[in-house]
Amino acid sequence: MKQVTAKIIRNEPVLKELARRHARSISGSWLIWLRCPEIAREVRPGQFVMVRCGEKLTLPRPFSVHRVKENRVALFFTVWADGQGTHWLSRRKAGDSLELFGPLGNGYDIYRASKNLLLVGGGMGVAPLYFLGEQARDQGYALTLLLGAQTASQLYPEKLLPSGIDLVTATDDGTAGKKGSVSALLPDYTSRADQIFACGPRAMYRAMSPMPALKDKPVQVSLEARMGCGLGICYGCTVRINNGLRQVCQDGPVFNLNDLPAEELNPI
Amino acid sequence: MTAAGTFGYGTEFNSIFDIQKLGAIVCKGTTLTPREGNLQPRLAETAGGLLNSIGLQNIGVKALIREKAPAWSSWRVPVIVNIAGETVDDYARLASELEGVTGISGLEINISCPNVKAGGAEFGTNPGTATKVTTTVKTSTSLPVIVKLTPNTNEIAQIAAAVAEAGADALSLINTVKGMYLDITTRQPLLGNRTGGLSGPAIKPIALSMVYEVAGAVTIPIIGCGGITTANDALEFIMAGASAIQVGTATFNNPHAPLDILEGIEQFMKTEAIEDITELIGAARSQANEKIGRAEIRDG
Repeated sequence: MKQVTAKIIRNEPVLKELARRHARSISGSWLIWLRCPEIAREVRPGQFVMVRCGEKLTLPRPFSVHRVKENRVALFFTVWADGQGTHWLSRRKAGDSLELFGPLGNGYDIYRASKNLLLVGGGMGVAPLYFLGEQARDQGYALTLLLGAQTASQLYPEKLLPSGIDLVTATDDGTAGKKGSVSALLPDYTSRADQIFACGPRAMYRAMSPMPALKDKPVQVSLEARMGCGLGICYGCTVRINNGLRQVCQDGPVFNLNDLPAEELNPI
Repeated sequence: MTAAGTFGYGTEFNSIFDIQKLGAIVCKGTTLTPREGNLQPRLAETAGGLLNSIGLQNIGVKALIREKAPAWSSWRVPVIVNIAGETVDDYARLASELEGVTGISGLEINISCPNVKAGGAEFGTNPGTATKVTTTVKTSTSLPVIVKLTPNTNEIAQIAAAVAEAGADALSLINTVKGMYLDITTRQPLLGNRTGGLSGPAIKPIALSMVYEVAGAVTIPIIGCGGITTANDALEFIMAGASAIQVGTATFNNPHAPLDILEGIEQFMKTEAIEDITELIGAARSQANEKIGRAEIRDG
């Protein structure tokens, strides 16, 4: 874990805004590139950083590491319509400095014996899966990425995704890819997969949890949580897994889907 | 020193900075048996503050002695264990369990947690029960005893005087201020426990005035706590009458905050040519007395 001040190389919107009813509206999704060799050296796919978003906020904000290129790190983040931290972050310009600490958490674990990996991303879930997919591809694994979003405008642009990964998309309203949820795509792709890595809202995991197609497959999922410290000290992000309490920030954010009881997969 | 509940068991920070540079570490509030804490959500950010309703999730005193204390015994920095009970007897048993355990340099009695149903702040809002808990712990331990006070009372000076009379070696104040956050989409309180405790810069002025008030009511040392984020904040508490300070919520945004504050205090002392920090303790109080004194003379 390093606490650093990083220079912003680029900060630009990738996805448009989306007004939503009964859910937080989105003002857009941004890609920010930072020069931070200390974190770029250490970070593993699935880990996250805590970013201090201005002087006015009491808590730092957690963001998955989205990409790593030499001494640079990219974060892909949603700017919530009512989110002070993410609004602040979206207004930073190239050349500005950012205070952050990390890498934090456990990250995904690819088994050496695995050959075919299936990645499942719901909405912003693409954030850590990009890093995982790119690194695994370079290590010689075969990869399929199932990517879902509410609507076409919220789907991560295909031209920005790493090459050499088979992509299948779905949108809730059918404006891009197959109509329906990304989890509904899963049964057609699990048979070949040695491991499945997912990142998305808890509703997605809730849909995945009882699927017969996933019954004997190792499935690792990344949990989102309200976090205070990111370091396992404030006990704000406690989650109950089948054999006790864990801190999402320190013991996760990646857990085995099998270890998560149904009540933890309810929306928070 | 670090404030209870914001620095874990200290071990978590070993790789972040040299924790031996701190004055003391106060560990997570500890109960007789492990506690699972409150329902989610447990955190809500507010303007300049943080509402929490963790509910004293902790591993319990036995696991603390078995798993945490051994590491502390090799540290130069003293570790103070924050203890919380549901009954007066719980506090006595906690103190007895911790008696003679190497690696522990003091106890901080938590009679001020707003997030638990039984015990907690109940003990801290009444001079009688506060006295009883303090006396009980003092007779069960040979360690120095700090009593942590709640701001959720009109009688903090009376409670402070009562626990000082009962033998407390020092006071720490304040714990969090009771508060609430409503979610307008669900029309319900956001926190799983409905209410929580407010910390962070938002409560600093409250904490400061209480430290100032209590400093006029007791002669035992006061540890100032509540929203301290910078060295200047810390200096204000010292000038109000605190002999030491605790850093809490600031550590979440800046894990280095405790060290940054120490370095800032040193810098201030250098600039102001102050040799000994004790010169500053209660500086605001003595000057205020002088002012009042002068005013009286003039009026007379």
